[in-house]
Amino acid sequence: MQPLPPSLERPAASAPVPDAPPIIEMDGVSRHFGDLVAVHDVSLTVPQGTILGLIGPSGSGKTTIIRMLTGTLGPTAGRLSVLGQEPLKFTRQARERIAYMPQLFSLYPDLTAAENMNFVAALFGVPWWKRSRLIKRWLSVVDLWDARHRPARDLSGGMQRRLELACALVHNPRVLFIDEPTAGIDPLLRQSIWDELRSLRDDGATLLVTTQYVGEAVYCDRVALLAEGELIALQEPEELKRSAFGGELLQINTVNVVDDDSLRGVEGVREVRQAGPRQLIVVTDDAGTAAPRIMDALREAGVEVREISEYQASYDDMFTTLVQRRRTEREDGQPVHPEAVA
Amino acid sequence: MTGVLKSLIRVTSFIGKELRELRRRPGVIATLVLGPLLVMMLFGIGYTGQRTPFLADVVLPPDSGLPTDPAFYQDMAEDRITVAQVGTDREAAVERLRRQEIGLVVVAPTDAEARLRAGEQSVIEVYWNEVDPLDDGLARLAMQIMVGELNQEIIRRAVAEGIQVADAELGQPVELDPNVIAEPTRAEELNVAETSPATIAFFGPAVFALVLQHLAVTLTALSLVRERLSGQMDRYRVSPLNSSELLIGKYVAYAFFSLIISALVAGAMVAWLGVPNLGGWPLMLGIVMLLTFASLGLGILISLVADSERQAVQLSMLVLLASVFFSGFVLPVEDFIPAVRPVAYALPVTHGIATLQEAMLRGEVRSLWMLATLAGIGVALYVIALVRLRRIVHRVD
Repeated sequence: MQPLPPSLERPAASAPVPDAPPIIEMDGVSRHFGDLVAVHDVSLTVPQGTILGLIGPSGSGKTTIIRMLTGTLGPTAGRLSVLGQEPLKFTRQARERIAYMPQLFSLYPDLTAAENMNFVAALFGVPWWKRSRLIKRWLSVVDLWDARHRPARDLSGGMQRRLELACALVHNPRVLFIDEPTAGIDPLLRQSIWDELRSLRDDGATLLVTTQYVGEAVYCDRVALLAEGELIALQEPEELKRSAFGGELLQINTVNVVDDDSLRGVEGVREVRQAGPRQLIVVTDDAGTAAPRIMDALREAGVEVREISEYQASYDDMFTTLVQRRRTEREDGQPVHPEAVA
Repeated sequence: MTGVLKSLIRVTSFIGKELRELRRRPGVIATLVLGPLLVMMLFGIGYTGQRTPFLADVVLPPDSGLPTDPAFYQDMAEDRITVAQVGTDREAAVERLRRQEIGLVVVAPTDAEARLRAGEQSVIEVYWNEVDPLDDGLARLAMQIMVGELNQEIIRRAVAEGIQVADAELGQPVELDPNVIAEPTRAEELNVAETSPATIAFFGPAVFALVLQHLAVTLTALSLVRERLSGQMDRYRVSPLNSSELLIGKYVAYAFFSLIISALVAGAMVAWLGVPNLGGWPLMLGIVMLLTFASLGLGILISLVADSERQAVQLSMLVLLASVFFSGFVLPVEDFIPAVRPVAYALPVTHGIATLQEAMLRGEVRSLWMLATLAGIGVALYVIALVRLRRIVHRVD
């Protein structure tokens, strides 16, 4: 087995509340800026107690979707709903339950970390006697408690991102829109931030989190892959990976040189990729039943197998595969059906 | 927790936030607040209000019979001229005037008394060399005073001579005083104003009003524009904060700061510079609050239309420039043509200067319409700022 790096190991998941009512809904939402199509016909739902990862490269429409869902940007077409309300017409009560962490640092550089949090908490109506406890809790979570007296301008870029996150969380929101929370943050701290986001999810909060790090899909309950404003996939991370490659993957290391033609026509084998002179990656319908047949076929071909194991493709590979597939479909004039990937 | 309490929390949160930000930016305070204050204090202390007297040469024709003692002519124009020398060389005096070594040349008439006896008017030639219209006007005034004094002296001498002739011809003294004939009336002066302030005391309230407006306008103009440009406005949009709370929060925060500065400046003005405060502190506080309210509105409006901090500073300086020219700080508002006066009356500081001067130097505000206008400007600016802010906060791109 090819082990995952510690930071990418999927934490023990707390399953989303089954049949929970959707907190976030998008139905055929598009957003144009003049001739530029930033978001095209996106439909998705996010049930309560779920982390939806909005993943895609820069310019794929992630921030535009967040801005539409927080009511700072109107859609060109389609319907949006958060907490059962149209974002452009949020009531105060709805706003008190929402948090937004912008992509860029927008806090006050002359105020200290604690003062920034104090102000943001007050904006959400948190009374002063409750603020100290909340500030301490969230600054500790993002590992900034020791830096609470430092002006925000003196914090590093990563610390400023963490302070933004702490400010977004200080009023205990139930729906969180978090734009690139881990950008510019070291891997260890990224994991601790994701751990905290998952803890919020476990407490019943609903989170929509954007990230450019495709590998962070592993922390999400569901993943929406975006490319060029289009939703190209919407699934649970593991299913998504399986779907992307068309089945379960096996990695075969051999003693002598092997040719991918050796496995052509073997039952249960969908695709064979030559990863090296002595290495094959095989896409199977079911790895458990296909493995003995593959071993037999290779033995008949005179190839000695050193190791056969489940291949853990990276999410980057998955993303690249899906985007390339989408481009091919577009060139062929085929429509996009994100759920069809499921 | 009630909505009202939450609103109160949101509004008051700005006080601490803004004051902390100001405290952390001492350079801004020094540049924007203390700088103008020091400049204006220096102006108040250093400006005497007295024009330097014109340096004058008096040219007497030979055998004019007029006194040659400079002190004689010095007395004629009192403090408006300083007689440099009395001589007979007209060309030399005019040449000194051209070289701007002196400011005035007065050429006495030839044989003025003889001409008077002959029933002819004499001509006193006066030359000056000024391009400054103010100095030109003052030179004319000095000239008129001097000519008037000179005429009186000629009449006095003629009358004295006439009385001597009459005495001799009538054989009895004629009861006439040449001084009364030459100067039949005299003025007894009395300024009935409540106080006769020195220059600094008179300008003190005006400087106070101008600094207060400048402080409020500049600080608020920078505050909101910075938040608009930093993306903070997006946070406000998503939060439960509404436009009124944001605006009131800003007003309250900066009013609090302005009132602290006002108390310090007013205290220093009265205690150290001796500016009278005949109207008392409550009246002054009322005017300061109205002026602050209107000035904050002006600053916030600037911050809502400016595209950058630089533009906000430029607009604030434009307001300061307009205030110096049109507010009555330097030139009386009444000196402007009626078509331009609305510009003056649209500035909060115009009403602030007039009412503070009345309150502090006369003990009461007689121009109540100015207080009403100040309040009206404040309310109008608040409403306009609120409408503009709502458009920005609720703008859906």
